[in-house]
Amino acid sequence: MFGVRGSLKELLKTPAPYGPDIDLSNYDMDLPEIQEGREVVDEISDVSSRLGFNDTSKLSYIQVNEVAVYKALEESLSKYGVRVLPLRKALEELPNVKELAWKLVRPDLDKYTVASYLYGGELGYFIYVPPNTEVPAPIYSCLAITRDRKIQFAHNIVYVDSNSVAHVVTGCAVPHGVKGGLHIGISEFYVGRGSRLTFSMIHAWSEGLHVRPRTAVSVDDGGEYVSYYVIYSPVASLQTYPSVRLGRSSKAYLASVIAGSGESVYDVGSKAVLGGLNASAEVVSRVVAYDSSRIYARSEIVAEDAGRGHVECLGLLLSSNAEIHSIPTLTSKKPEALLSHEAAIGMIAQDEIEYLMSKGFTEGEAKSIIVRGFMNVEVRGLPLTVMMEIDRLLDMISRHATG
Amino acid sequence: MLMVRDLSVCIEGKVIVDGVSLEAKEGELHVIMGPNGSGKSTLLSALMGLSRVRICGGSIVFNGVDITDKPSYERAKLGIALAHQNPPSIKGVKFSEVVKNLIRKCGCSDSTVMSKILRVDELLSRDLFVGFSGGERKRAELYLVLLQNPKLALLDEPDSGVDVESLDLIASAVRYLIKKSTTVILVTHSGSILNKLSRIDQVHVMIGGKIVYRDLPDKVIPAILKYGFKKGVEVLRDGG
Repeated sequence: MFGVRGSLKELLKTPAPYGPDIDLSNYDMDLPEIQEGREVVDEISDVSSRLGFNDTSKLSYIQVNEVAVYKALEESLSKYGVRVLPLRKALEELPNVKELAWKLVRPDLDKYTVASYLYGGELGYFIYVPPNTEVPAPIYSCLAITRDRKIQFAHNIVYVDSNSVAHVVTGCAVPHGVKGGLHIGISEFYVGRGSRLTFSMIHAWSEGLHVRPRTAVSVDDGGEYVSYYVIYSPVASLQTYPSVRLGRSSKAYLASVIAGSGESVYDVGSKAVLGGLNASAEVVSRVVAYDSSRIYARSEIVAEDAGRGHVECLGLLLSSNAEIHSIPTLTSKKPEALLSHEAAIGMIAQDEIEYLMSKGFTEGEAKSIIVRGFMNVEVRGLPLTVMMEIDRLLDMISRHATG
Repeated sequence: MLMVRDLSVCIEGKVIVDGVSLEAKEGELHVIMGPNGSGKSTLLSALMGLSRVRICGGSIVFNGVDITDKPSYERAKLGIALAHQNPPSIKGVKFSEVVKNLIRKCGCSDSTVMSKILRVDELLSRDLFVGFSGGERKRAELYLVLLQNPKLALLDEPDSGVDVESLDLIASAVRYLIKKSTTVILVTHSGSILNKLSRIDQVHVMIGGKIVYRDLPDKVIPAILKYGFKKGVEVLRDGG
């Protein structure tokens, strides 16, 4: 189907189109392993608190390095018919899962997908939500790298069957002290007819980590996909460009908040394809660049049918050594489609700082209030508990970043 | 309380306020009137310590402390608050967020009373001053001043560009400040709020960066409203 493994292996030497190239041979791979238990939970308590998950008992799926642990919410979710299990187990035990894997993200997309396909062992989670089901509680998962110079692979599939609602929250992090590593995450999400999936992802890596998530989403007619991505830590490099394909009368709202620091390189995009009549998409990003960080904020909407799309990309440059590149792209193949974009990069307005200082705030406090406000993105439909956790993180980011 | 001596203020090297002296005691309400561009707002900015103006002469003493060189946030900590004439719109920053931070900082216990006086509840969920009408803007800004629980409130044109209803609410808030023994310095060029205030201690007329006349309100306000600023002052000086 994908050609011989040998030809795929050739791709391992070819740089990906975006982001700094990573030599995969610099990293070790562990044998993928699955455990049913919670032995590694203590190991990630530091990590989960960095992600705002203070209660690890809420986690449905945990992956530390190349060890997948699951159980947790499986019982409480099972009453809704929801299944959460490692993908490898799902591929072995559940019918039809094979039909979902590697269909939205092609193995030969780039060297990272090839590596994951060949060596990943299909760790990662599989979540299935049956038809006509509204899962009230968010489904949490946490992926952590705790050892240096390792590659962590994760292949996640979420399938929300027709007329259902689910909220998935994923956090990826390293504990303090981990200096180097590579995370490759493959995510394939299926949103059924008339269904809604909200997906919140929080990344808290460290200076030495390279991160290459590859995400593709298919939204069936009348469905809705809401994504909220936050990264607030330094990384060696992060490159991701999730793509959402929308059916008739379906909607997507893709929000990214990137707080860049250190000497990190962030290349973060979002792409929506209006594939059916009256589909609509909104791509929103808030980018804050500190220190010597370099941030590429890409956003793209392609109208293959008559629909509406809007891109809003705003950047705040908080250091003269940092860079923000905003790259909005609109492509229309239908005259009836209406696409628009707004992009702006600037610094904090002095009159805003001075105004708040006249109310008794120090310069640092004033900046923190303004940066916090700038990062506010109103994401409709996220559960309150998730919103509160993200709000706490954004509060912390703005306070920390402005001293 | 406040003692301003021979204060001169420059913006980009140009003298805007020229040798102003002013003294206000606790709980007094002073009104500064003058035509557009006479230096009234610049004077209040200098009293607040905003960095866009530079004090190029004279001194400001507040409750015995020389604050001439202190930055605005330190003056705010000492109990000085400024209601800006045109506060900036800050996208993304919720009005409620600033309110929450100010209550935390200033320990204001009667914020509910104040929000009722100024009817700002419906504004709390909005971005700070973004899309606010003239009246909403003035009410919201005055509310933030009230939350600071100031000893000295500097109110820059609180009555300009507002409708009658908002004007009544703003006047109520000023009366509330006076009731709490706050010293108020209120700048107005239209004077539309003045007949709604229960007591004014002194009116200062400012023209060309100088205070050219000061007296009790009963004498000054009718002359200014009848003749305008320049001629009104001439008439007053002539004993009219």
